[in-house]
Amino acid sequence: MDNVSLVSEVSNAPILWLLCGITVGISALQAALYMRQSKKMTAQISLDPAVPKKAFRVGLISAIGPALGVFIVMVGLMASIGGPMSWLRLSIIGAAATELSAANIGAEACGVVLGSQDYTLMCLAVSWFAMALNGAGWLVFTGVATPSLDKLRTKISGGDINWLVVLSSACSLGIFGYLNAGEIMKGIGNTIAVVTGAVSMVLLMNTICKKYPKLKEYSLGIAMVIGMIFSVGFDQLIK
Amino acid sequence: MNEREVLEQWKKSSIKIGTPTNIIAALTAFIPVLWLCTRYDCWPPFSTVMTAWGLIVASFGALYFVEPISYYASLGLSGTYLGFLSGNIGNMRVPCAALALDVTESTPGTIQAEIVSTMAICGSIITNLIATTSAVIVGGAVLSVLPEFIVDGLTRYASAAIFGATFGNFATKYPQVAIFALAIPVLLKLFTGFSAALVILCTVFGTLFIARIMYKKGIVE
Repeated sequence: MDNVSLVSEVSNAPILWLLCGITVGISALQAALYMRQSKKMTAQISLDPAVPKKAFRVGLISAIGPALGVFIVMVGLMASIGGPMSWLRLSIIGAAATELSAANIGAEACGVVLGSQDYTLMCLAVSWFAMALNGAGWLVFTGVATPSLDKLRTKISGGDINWLVVLSSACSLGIFGYLNAGEIMKGIGNTIAVVTGAVSMVLLMNTICKKYPKLKEYSLGIAMVIGMIFSVGFDQLIK
Repeated sequence: MNEREVLEQWKKSSIKIGTPTNIIAALTAFIPVLWLCTRYDCWPPFSTVMTAWGLIVASFGALYFVEPISYYASLGLSGTYLGFLSGNIGNMRVPCAALALDVTESTPGTIQAEIVSTMAICGSIITNLIATTSAVIVGGAVLSVLPEFIVDGLTRYASAAIFGATFGNFATKYPQVAIFALAIPVLLKLFTGFSAALVILCTVFGTLFIARIMYKKGIVE
């Protein structure tokens, strides 16, 4: 058997689903444990149980849009790194671009091209090591240092509750400013998606959602669809 | 118990759940590659793996620290563990958590905010798990019947629209700060060769610094 088919067969071996499932399972378990903790705490501080329920629903619904993106990216990724590994990587820390570059770096370290005839099982192993080592960077850092991050935030906020609110928003603005800047630099189509996404969210939140607060839960999904329609429409127009 | 004691208790149990799960997941992610090498006896030379690791750290290493620090304020304690284990932080976890805080009118830093963002992130994780798992089962079939422009729209523009929408929502609350949050990274990307990690650091701390000055001067409150 040639290397390309061998690599593809091995990376789709049925037992791999089980082996990758262990880590996916840990992610699901962690979410379940945090939900249990939230439920306990809600009862303890006599918070209206409708509040966490509503929050959960917002997460569930608002994630549908981006999850559709993940769905499609995942189908693409499956073609290059196999089904089980794509499932593992995209269910945990991974973003498709990061995983693909890690897989490519693995191939590069072997001096071959990913998916080529020279890409042997040993190179596949280097790619998989690269992906696991890369993911471990974030997981180990957050696993160990998150409590210190909390202290850092407390220190910067200096116990001023009003400033803490501004600080949290400023950090989010900074990180989303960065993410949006990256999109804007990609070209006019992405810029249109950013601008129309932003404008429709602002309009939704300040007009219709004021009248029908229930709609707020769907606002992010609606804004995303509007942004995409404008960008895709633009692409079709200039074609 | 007062609010502070309750928060302390929340933090303690969050750490108890988050630390072991994140570290164990980092280890179990190696199981597939260990199986591969053992089953097919294809152990790569140690030096090659180290070379790959070196290249990886050079490309992503700084982000291991910069991202958790930058996202912490919006994710909270349990949200940081959850977000970095489950991924898709910018396009899914933070937008969901931020919207949930908005919808439930919770103030950041309070116990209610911690519960709300945790629950929102857990909800989004379930949606994501459903998406990846169904991609495995029906992905190829679905993709072959979807019109090309929809696939194209989702792959190229979904993130951009979500980023824009989330930014827009924060920006209406603090428009003066938002201008700088967008201008700093654009200028840095245009005129410097800074690495991604350095641009994030300059943007987040630059924005924070400007927000602090505005807060002191009473421009934002």
